[in-house]
Amino acid sequence: MARRIAVLIFPGTNSETETLALLRDCGGEAELVHWSRAESLAAYDAYVLPGGFAYEDRIRAGAIPAHDPMMDYVIEGAQRGKLVLGICNGAQILLEAGLVPGTGAARRPTAAFTHNASRKFVCAHVYVKLATAPSRSPITAALAEGTLLPAWAAHGQGRLAASQMHLREIERGAHLAFVYARADGSIDPAATPNGSALGCAGLLNREGNVLAIMPHPERDAWNFNHPDRREGRNMLAVSGGAPLFASFVAGVQRS
Amino acid sequence: MAVGLKIPDNEAYTALTALERLGIPLARVERSAIYVFQAPAPEDELAARVTRNESVFNPNKHRLRVLDANAPRSGEVWIEEIGARWVDADRYVGWRLFGAGDRPVDRATLAAATELLLCNPAIERAHFPKTEEER
Repeated sequence: MARRIAVLIFPGTNSETETLALLRDCGGEAELVHWSRAESLAAYDAYVLPGGFAYEDRIRAGAIPAHDPMMDYVIEGAQRGKLVLGICNGAQILLEAGLVPGTGAARRPTAAFTHNASRKFVCAHVYVKLATAPSRSPITAALAEGTLLPAWAAHGQGRLAASQMHLREIERGAHLAFVYARADGSIDPAATPNGSALGCAGLLNREGNVLAIMPHPERDAWNFNHPDRREGRNMLAVSGGAPLFASFVAGVQRS
Repeated sequence: MAVGLKIPDNEAYTALTALERLGIPLARVERSAIYVFQAPAPEDELAARVTRNESVFNPNKHRLRVLDANAPRSGEVWIEEIGARWVDADRYVGWRLFGAGDRPVDRATLAAATELLLCNPAIERAHFPKTEEER
């Protein structure tokens, strides 16, 4: 039986449609789950937290949704090994819920994606590079070593911040999943659009079943999303951001 | 200087309901933006500096309060963003919690609310009212 993926909708989520579409294009059996149906989440095999501004970023981005009843199911599921992917605001929620980097207790965050160094909203096309061995996580297992993904950064609070002690834990524990890179794959601090510590674009938990990624691969998922729209291309064909979703779906099916 | 809303504060109400869910029942939550100016200046000059800035003060929505002291009051915690640099004033978000009888909550309740929701210690620092001993 196909494994089912829930795409969570908090009040203020706004990226669920493209997230759902790409999961389905990648072969996933995915459905939207509204916050009023939190209890239905127990029946799903994996969770995706899309981007947006859940609860209007009240108190801090991700702080209120981290305590939403939906997250009771996500946290329990993650602790039992279910795969969880959070994108942008979904990533902020996973950090506030303490699921990533996962170096503290649940709902006791040890890091945050917080205000960009510029204190301005960033909307830019970026590239992120896989910074860990693909086999480190079932979510990245189908990617090639050093995979470069195009994505759109669209956030005011995407800068990884943590104490020096926790940043060292992130480095030593191989929590760093994706770093910002140039289009040729080279690592350059100037490619990081928000001043993120360690050039971090994405983080994994210790077990590798929870991934939080700030830029949106699902917004560069079909050729018409990509800034380089060359003539003759099939604009509806999948584009560079799709492989992460394909790898996630493959991981869910194997789980 | 403290800038609070004179219209209903949805964010404060969200904090109230979230804290209730976390097992901290409250009667009311007040939220304000706190500005502590470094250079000494007459009160009315500082007030004018805040109220002239339309990005922080809208007279239709906000009310300005002059702080009695540059420290949180009873039942209040000030949250500071670690590493943020501001021009001429330190900034905090002030949360004041009220419990039964509309009295400011005790230190233990305030500390629990701060740890559970109001402060992410990875990026923020909490400032509590001074205890009798600290005074």
